[in-house]
Amino acid sequence: MKIIDIAWKDILRALRNLFFLGFGIGVPVLMGGIFYFAFGGMASDNGLDIPQTDVIVVDLDEPDAAFGGFAVGQLTVDALAQNESLFKVTEMDEAAAAREAVDNQEADVAVIIPAGFTAAAFDPDGEGEIEIYQDPTLILGPGIVKGFVGSIVDAFAGASIAVKVTDGQLSEQGIDLDQATLWQVYAEYGGWAQELGESQQAGTGSLFTVQSPLSGEEKDTNAALAMIGGVMMGMMVFYAFFTGASSAQNILQEEENGTLGRLFTTPTSISAILGGKFVSVFALVVVQVLVLIGFSSLIFKTQWGAPIPLALAAIGLVVVASSFGIFIMSFLKDTKQTGIVIGGVMTVLGMAGISSVFTSSVPGASGGIAQIIPLFTPQGWAMRAWELAYGSGGIGDVLVPFAVCIGLGIVSFLVGVYRFKRRFG
Amino acid sequence: MNNGQAIQVQELYKNYGDIQAVQGVSFDVHAGEIFSLLGPNGAGKTTTISIISCLLQPTQGDALVMGHSIKGDPMAVKEAIGVVPQEIALYDDLSARENLTFWGKMYGLRGSTLKRRVDEVLDVTGLAERQKGRVSKFSGGMQRRLNIGIALLHRPQVIIMDEPTVGIDPQSRRNILDSVKELNQQGATVLYTTHYMEEAQELSNHIAIMDHGKLIAYGTHEELVDIVGEMDRITLGINTESAKVVGQWKTLEGVHEFSAEDGTVELLVDDSNLVLPRLFEAATQANVRITSVDIQEPNLEAVFLHLTGRALRD
Repeated sequence: MKIIDIAWKDILRALRNLFFLGFGIGVPVLMGGIFYFAFGGMASDNGLDIPQTDVIVVDLDEPDAAFGGFAVGQLTVDALAQNESLFKVTEMDEAAAAREAVDNQEADVAVIIPAGFTAAAFDPDGEGEIEIYQDPTLILGPGIVKGFVGSIVDAFAGASIAVKVTDGQLSEQGIDLDQATLWQVYAEYGGWAQELGESQQAGTGSLFTVQSPLSGEEKDTNAALAMIGGVMMGMMVFYAFFTGASSAQNILQEEENGTLGRLFTTPTSISAILGGKFVSVFALVVVQVLVLIGFSSLIFKTQWGAPIPLALAAIGLVVVASSFGIFIMSFLKDTKQTGIVIGGVMTVLGMAGISSVFTSSVPGASGGIAQIIPLFTPQGWAMRAWELAYGSGGIGDVLVPFAVCIGLGIVSFLVGVYRFKRRFG
Repeated sequence: MNNGQAIQVQELYKNYGDIQAVQGVSFDVHAGEIFSLLGPNGAGKTTTISIISCLLQPTQGDALVMGHSIKGDPMAVKEAIGVVPQEIALYDDLSARENLTFWGKMYGLRGSTLKRRVDEVLDVTGLAERQKGRVSKFSGGMQRRLNIGIALLHRPQVIIMDEPTVGIDPQSRRNILDSVKELNQQGATVLYTTHYMEEAQELSNHIAIMDHGKLIAYGTHEELVDIVGEMDRITLGINTESAKVVGQWKTLEGVHEFSAEDGTVELLVDDSNLVLPRLFEAATQANVRITSVDIQEPNLEAVFLHLTGRALRD
């Protein structure tokens, strides 16, 4: 019973302590918030919210009778108009009026398809140029329009090159390229380009693709939300270890304030006194982890993964962070030393342990030694468990880092308890 | 409790490496008395009562509190005592009531008994109106009162107070001394340490004087004063040390001890009323000006000076 009394007293004091509230809860949330507002403006519950771009199309092209009345200009207009989620298309007749509308910020971008563009597209030696006239203050919308139109033009340019190469090869054999063969080359190139495009849409290619927003049911696999989730994980692991250490520091503070000595003059066993203190350390880390999980789920819409792997990661973190704090503090003489240890040692170990948060999005920086270094720290193993739980990992995936966290926690706890008992016994 | 003794200290030793903090200290505290351990800072008083409070293990020796050995049954000793530490040992981010409730639980109080005792102590310490206030907002005197109140929660048979008046204003000091007397009148045995001679003199039935870890004197106030006899101590300040007047003063009738150094003359005399006029007369004849006069009747300061050659405050 006295263990609970001592633990509750310490928890009450911690919850009234601005330092604990600030560093244990406020700073991790603030860090997540900074990333959320820096990158999360692009992120919503369902993924990327790309605003619709106002596009004025001036199609001066005309169908070419030589190609069965086909018109590249009309194809481009139709393709833009079909992507309603990205583009709001308005057609105009005059290029000057379209440019003026953009200048007056009545539209974001004007796409001006010149006359004879179809003929130029099908002529192996032909040249045609679509003009993209944009509001210079905008980047994202006009950029998407350029990419979208460019992908259409590139397809025809590629077909022209294919025709030109075929014509050259046939000429070497003394054969002239007739209209039927020309159409066959265009058709085969068109089929290949179509397959390539589909494979890109399926994510197997690496060229430019335009994707629709994700459905609300899908996991937040888009980059912005995944990054915020990673940051929240890192902050939680980093600051859980701080809370463990600073809560255990309370033992040294009480020793200096004389209250620990006074406790030893009461009919309370040393086991109950130290037990109460250790329970409070565990409880405070539990409170911190639960608050951060709940807060990030509600505010940042972080999806933490399946309940059991998440619970294992959380238990592993609580055990190793609390025990490591008790372990570290048992080696210190007074609170003067704790400043150096918490500010220095814990920061270095913490940064090394959660380095994957920073390296995962940097090409070439996330493999090899960058994966190994964190595993030399308890923070690294806790982080590993969270990453695996977060990344749709199953119980089996999380078990190894969970077991390592529990093992490290038990060893740290036993050493810490032994040293504190020897000190005060 | 053996033979009416609440505390029996038996040949206590405490060493810290080569430093001998307590060297063979023995004394008895009778049940129902106020017993003072008097000595300068560093004399070993706090170490001695820390051992009696089961806060430190003795290197050698033992102490019995209400018949319980500090070595053999420390929990029984802890239940019998209430300790008031020298430094204020409170949780300043908790309120007065929260502090008392917590410490009451540590003394094993629960439920309605705990609430009643907390209310009583709040009344006794005069903190009832501020019971919900954070201790960090309290004045030094209020914190001292609460610091003492905690030790009274479980109505201990023995109260151990380690220099409870250090660093506080005269009014708070007066209040604490009065409350110690009151606790004693209510039946508590009080073991009190101090380096203020007047406090020991005013409060104590028995006094033990400690210096350099050893007990150098023990007895009632009267018994201790008898060590230096009935003589008065006169301290004179003079403007010049004239060999002639110093020679005359040394040989005056009623003067037993004499020393002169740096313009200060100290004399141990039978009766200062008789000797002082002769001292002035001799000084006038030798054209020596007396700039200050201090007369001390026999007291514990004189006893300490007599026993150690140093003033208690040194």
